Amino acid sequence: MPLYEPVLCKRIPTPPWGEISDRKLVTYQQYVETGGYKSLDKALQMQPKEVVDIVKAAELRGRGGAGFPAGVKWSFLPPEDGKPRYLAINADESEPGTFKDRMLIDFDPHIVIEGIAICMHACRLDTSYFFLRGEYHHQREVMEHAIREAYDHRIFGPGSKLGKINDRWPQLYLHRGAGAYICGEETGLLEALEGKRGWPRIKPPFPAVAGAFGRPTIINNVETLACVTPIIEHGADWFKSMGVPPPAGSAPGTPASFGPKLYGVSGHVNRPGVYEDELGVKLSDLIEGLCCGIRGGRKFKAAIPGGISMGVLSADEYEAVLDFDVGRKHNCLGLGTAGVIVMDEGTDMVAVARNIARFFAHESCGQCTHCREGTNWMYRMLTRIETGEGTTRDLDLLLELSGSMGMMPGNNICGLSDGANWAIRTIVNKFFDEFETRVTRERGVSLAVVS
Amino acid sequence: MAWITKNSVAPIERRNEPYLSDELKRKLTDEVLTRYPTRRAATMPVLHALQEEHGWLPAQAIEEAAAFLEVSSAETMDTASFYEEYWLKPKGKYVIWVCQSLSCELLGHQRLIDALRNKLGIEVGETTPDGKFTLVTAECLGSCGSGPCALFNEKLHENLTVENLDRILDSLA
Repeated sequence: MPLYEPVLCKRIPTPPWGEISDRKLVTYQQYVETGGYKSLDKALQMQPKEVVDIVKAAELRGRGGAGFPAGVKWSFLPPEDGKPRYLAINADESEPGTFKDRMLIDFDPHIVIEGIAICMHACRLDTSYFFLRGEYHHQREVMEHAIREAYDHRIFGPGSKLGKINDRWPQLYLHRGAGAYICGEETGLLEALEGKRGWPRIKPPFPAVAGAFGRPTIINNVETLACVTPIIEHGADWFKSMGVPPPAGSAPGTPASFGPKLYGVSGHVNRPGVYEDELGVKLSDLIEGLCCGIRGGRKFKAAIPGGISMGVLSADEYEAVLDFDVGRKHNCLGLGTAGVIVMDEGTDMVAVARNIARFFAHESCGQCTHCREGTNWMYRMLTRIETGEGTTRDLDLLLELSGSMGMMPGNNICGLSDGANWAIRTIVNKFFDEFETRVTRERGVSLAVVS
Repeated sequence: MAWITKNSVAPIERRNEPYLSDELKRKLTDEVLTRYPTRRAATMPVLHALQEEHGWLPAQAIEEAAAFLEVSSAETMDTASFYEEYWLKPKGKYVIWVCQSLSCELLGHQRLIDALRNKLGIEVGETTPDGKFTLVTAECLGSCGSGPCALFNEKLHENLTVENLDRILDSLA
């Protein structure tokens, strides 16, 4: 069932409710005239804990890739001690295929800023850093302007309507990254914020206990905070009326997929772009409905459900339901950021795997040996296979390697190489014939398939 | 990206005039240092400001930044060498970052790179002899729905074709 009316795209014209070409920046004035900052006023009437409870009851799951429940994350904070506590907004959107946060910042920055202010009130956080990736130059200007507007209207700064938090006036600062995918990992982001190289930290301690500058810190994605605004306005039950409940028979407390979601679709479709629908839309409906089908009337071959680290869905999985459960059902890593990349029948999957391996080899921060060396091995092997110089031994080693590094096998600090693993492993396993015909056989080597 | 190191054999080229001028120091003290609880946290904004002023980050500028931030120059070099957008070597007046990630590759980014190599007469990673253009590849620029795309300095151009590439290059004097 499609979304009845847009939620995050309420002020951003989006098919089927509006035309992409009509999108323009919503100013503070226009935002307020269309009901903006009412949620903040409502939240300020409540006790902070009540606000956290509503977000928890809404079962809002993080939109940045991992899908961790935001309200639960908020409740990990220790009690206040009068010293500073931070909010870091993760706008380091660097996963190939993902461009949804950019749309929110481009056109409706105040829905995000309102979510930030509500989160600061609810979690008693006095200083926020909006961590924007370095490549987003236009978005930096838009955001700086929107933050100035928010200061001018006493959302932040001395005399803020939030009042003093931890005995400080609330502040929102923009912190600009400088081109590193790893800074999207939450502790890598904190290191960059502290002026260091973006090397992820070993957890625990988790950021909610000891994050930026050793103080309790909440890190949330842009879209997650944008969802907080309508949740406070309409309530948890309204939010849960959209999306997919947990599968029947699952244990109590199993996280479901509720609420609206921004899907960024790119690749071989007729009308790529960011669309909003509820969680649990079918891949085929997304492609044939909102994206007007595949270019040139060609056949569907494969799609990446949510940023390249999530792995691939094959033509057999064209009907896959895109919710947080997609990974378990279709042997891929998960929904990720819902940045869907669609590939038509003419796509060379070996080249796709090579492109993905190059990305991770390039973006590995170099801290853990397995990832630093392993991602580069993968890239070199896939380059060999693509140019016809690969052997069955390469294919064997590729599959072995893509099962043996990362946070899940337990030898790396962060999940970057898990992303590389899942992407390469699912492509090789689901399109094995394509790889097999490209390699030459070496005597005495078996073709072990690692699932 | 993490393994660029300073060439410690070659002496640092120095000039008498500081890169981090008193005026810039004042501006950074008033507008940037106040935002963070530690001085070191201002590393990235300070490096961004220096690069904006001088086009790249000479070793002397990094030393001055370290002194201003009250950390060792090795620590500032560590940060500066980690991030892609900090230039430790001079670059051209216009840097062309062509996105090479999956969505852009599916939509034909290689045609753009080949056209640029032909037109500018340089390989990826090089600068034209007149110092006008530097051609580099970038990973995802966040414009997957309107690829192939490229950044010309800070301006993003989307839905690029070889034809409109020519027009853009001609418009950059």
